[in-house]
Amino acid sequence: MHTFSRRTFGALVFAGATAIAANAYAADKIHVGILSLASHSPSIIAEAKGYFSEQDLEVEFVSFQAAQPMAVAIASGDVDFGMTAISGGLISLADKGVVKVIGGALQETPEIEGQKILVSKAAHDDGVTAPAALKGRSFGITTTGSSFHYMAHKIADKEGFARSEIHVKPLQKVPAVIASLKSGQIDAWSIVPNIADGLTKGPEVIEIGKISDYIDNYQVTTVFTSTKNTEEKPQLVKRFLAGLSKGIADYNAALVDKTMSEEETAAIVAMIHKYVYSDQPLEKADPRIRAGAMRINENAALSLASVEDQLEWFKSESLAPATATMDKLVDASFVETR
Amino acid sequence: MQLTLHDISHRYGGTTVLDGVSLTVDDGEIVCIVGPSGCGKSTLLRIAGGLEKPDGGAALLSGAAPEGSLNPLTYIFQDFALLPWRTVEGNVSLVLEDHGIAASERAAIIADVLSRTNLSDFARALPRQLSGGMKQRVAIARALAVKPAILLMDEPLSALDSQTRELLMDDLVALWSRERFSACYVTHNLNEAVRLGRRIIVLSRRPGRIRDVVEIDMPLAERVDRLAELELLQRRVWDIMREEAREADREISDVA
Amino acid sequence: MSHEAAARDTANTPDDAGQRPVPFRGGGFVHRPLGPVAPVVFLAILALWELGSRSGFISPIALPAPSAAFAALADLFKTGMLWKHLGASLYRLALGWTLGSLLGIAVGLAVGLFSLARAGLLPLVSALFPVPKIALLPLFIIWFGIGEGSKVATILFGTFFPTVIATYAGVDNVDRGLIRMGQSFGLGWLSIVRKIIVPGAMPAILSGFRISASIAIVLLVAAEMIGAEFGIGAYILMAGALFALDQLIAGVALLSVLGLVIAWLIGKLEKRLLSWRM
Repeated sequence: MHTFSRRTFGALVFAGATAIAANAYAADKIHVGILSLASHSPSIIAEAKGYFSEQDLEVEFVSFQAAQPMAVAIASGDVDFGMTAISGGLISLADKGVVKVIGGALQETPEIEGQKILVSKAAHDDGVTAPAALKGRSFGITTTGSSFHYMAHKIADKEGFARSEIHVKPLQKVPAVIASLKSGQIDAWSIVPNIADGLTKGPEVIEIGKISDYIDNYQVTTVFTSTKNTEEKPQLVKRFLAGLSKGIADYNAALVDKTMSEEETAAIVAMIHKYVYSDQPLEKADPRIRAGAMRINENAALSLASVEDQLEWFKSESLAPATATMDKLVDASFVETR
Repeated sequence: MQLTLHDISHRYGGTTVLDGVSLTVDDGEIVCIVGPSGCGKSTLLRIAGGLEKPDGGAALLSGAAPEGSLNPLTYIFQDFALLPWRTVEGNVSLVLEDHGIAASERAAIIADVLSRTNLSDFARALPRQLSGGMKQRVAIARALAVKPAILLMDEPLSALDSQTRELLMDDLVALWSRERFSACYVTHNLNEAVRLGRRIIVLSRRPGRIRDVVEIDMPLAERVDRLAELELLQRRVWDIMREEAREADREISDVA
Repeated sequence: MSHEAAARDTANTPDDAGQRPVPFRGGGFVHRPLGPVAPVVFLAILALWELGSRSGFISPIALPAPSAAFAALADLFKTGMLWKHLGASLYRLALGWTLGSLLGIAVGLAVGLFSLARAGLLPLVSALFPVPKIALLPLFIIWFGIGEGSKVATILFGTFFPTVIATYAGVDNVDRGLIRMGQSFGLGWLSIVRKIIVPGAMPAILSGFRISASIAIVLLVAAEMIGAEFGIGAYILMAGALFALDQLIAGVALLSVLGLVIAWLIGKLEKRLLSWRM
């Protein structure tokens, strides 16, 4: 929450009282929040290829370390659009009427390799060779109410044991979860394939299942913006989604369906590399970016059923306010829903 | 028991502070050492008690310590050096605890020395509750508790106001009349020296050498009634010291 | 007699002969004890805050109303989770702080007493003290696991260094005259350390405790970042992740109260151990 600056705080304090008309920013300059993850590539591609410029949008990227501060920054108006998993924080902000989900992004689909369930070597040796054996085991999550928490409970639900019998361990950050899994301090974790594949290459981590077996059409990440944007500038939202959609199409064509020429694909990887794995040379980052790319919904289509399932889970675990509803969480008027 | 300082020389860094000082403290004798500031009086006393090693010469003891003496050479400090977190009896107890004395015997010794210094009513008081004079009485009681052969007194009355100083001097005289302790008494106060000293050793300014020795044969107990005679003695000592003191005052000190 | 009377007369009639009172220039710069000011200020701020929240002047996204935070606290109490969280945190605080303080005093005494320890350890202590222990969390996880070990270790390391520094500074500040007195009476080395140096360093050690106890509370949240199901820090982190600001404020209030209670306890300890001072 380090991005929650004093200025932001001041703005928030007075937002309720004064409600200054928010035409503060220049013509159509927008701020887009990204995490350094391959799943944020569509925005990067759309910007690099000029799809946002076509929409008369000037995009500035704001990097975040985690989804939670990004949601807060959107609520405060420092960032206009973001793309992350549905989290307790996001729902809580939506319940307060400041942010809204406007589209879908990463989604599990049967035909594409999706998130994987991993266990440590020690747990595997101890007989945890299938998700059913996770009963009574520890499961790494970043924070309470994160997508990992949801996945752990969905596994428990489907395997027919109590959610409390899978011991979730909040470890705050993905690297901490990876370290704990590798050293056998936690038994299990679930993660997107490009990270999972890197881990299972070593001897310390073994794959024992797929998340798609436990969650139907899991809408892993969504596109969201401030409620103010949806109400006061629907055209801006539409233009952003139009630009993003072209980026999504390129991403899927290049890395998921692999229908693009190698030359074009390499160009796209180079664009992504500016923000993802940028601390490594391109030769090293290239295979990592390409590996295990998951499909991002065309035209940012949104699976309402999956979002509703997630919302219900959050509420059932008291991780979201009981007053939260789909209407408060989602503005389905911008994209195709299914 | 006899304490002899033989040809003591001492330097701090490049400065010679003591140069060939020899003196003897005989049984039952109070030897006063006076001298201008910075002449090495306190250093000499630290050497005498084994708290510092001289660069030249030696501090020597002869004769047996009196029976039951726990600490033959015992100091009384200018700043009293009482532990502020211990009561009066606790402070006296401190110096007995390392000698394997049974608790009951220890309590008896404490009660005895406190009564000898008229402190019995203050046994449970903390040092911060006492006046300067009372604190020094506690320090004296503490010193008596270890049955010293020779008291090494480093300006014991200098931190006290003049009335308290008079009272304590009377106490010391009374105490000496009863116990006949021997003492090496360092002071810059000539009045104290002539009131208490059997011999007064006058040191020169730095480097400290023995400038003169004044012997006073008058019995201690009589001195309080013969102040006019003492006044003359004090003048004599001052005459010896005056030039040294003036020079010492004009020196720029680089030795603490 | 008449002289005195005259003096008194003139003093009583300042107009005579142009006499006037000496202007008073003293006063000020002295703190007077003002009993109930703190609670009044505190309640006034709470009331203003509540009023601001109710009227909508303070957006609920910026700050929840105090009543909402109080309700979250009440929920904690009703569900019994309060004791679970408090118990877990107090266990970690007590264990980590006690071990850190004991080790810190031991090392601080060594640094204060032995030249070799000072030469060898002091640079190390000075180098490690400013390292944010949060930065070492990943290492602690590998070394001590994600169970209680890494949490206690975080607090232990956080309290160890300030205690070392407070202790050796305290030892350095013990009146050399008292040590010389001990030597002059032939006290043994251990007696001098036990009866003169340690009590003499006690005020510094106790004020070190005040600092290390605060650091321990600060580090509690960091310590409970890793794999903690219960604990006030874990509760605050969860509230932050869920953007449940009412719970967040409730958790922070619990930490403050904890801090106040610990400061009060140390004050009691100081009164007991340092009664000789004042």
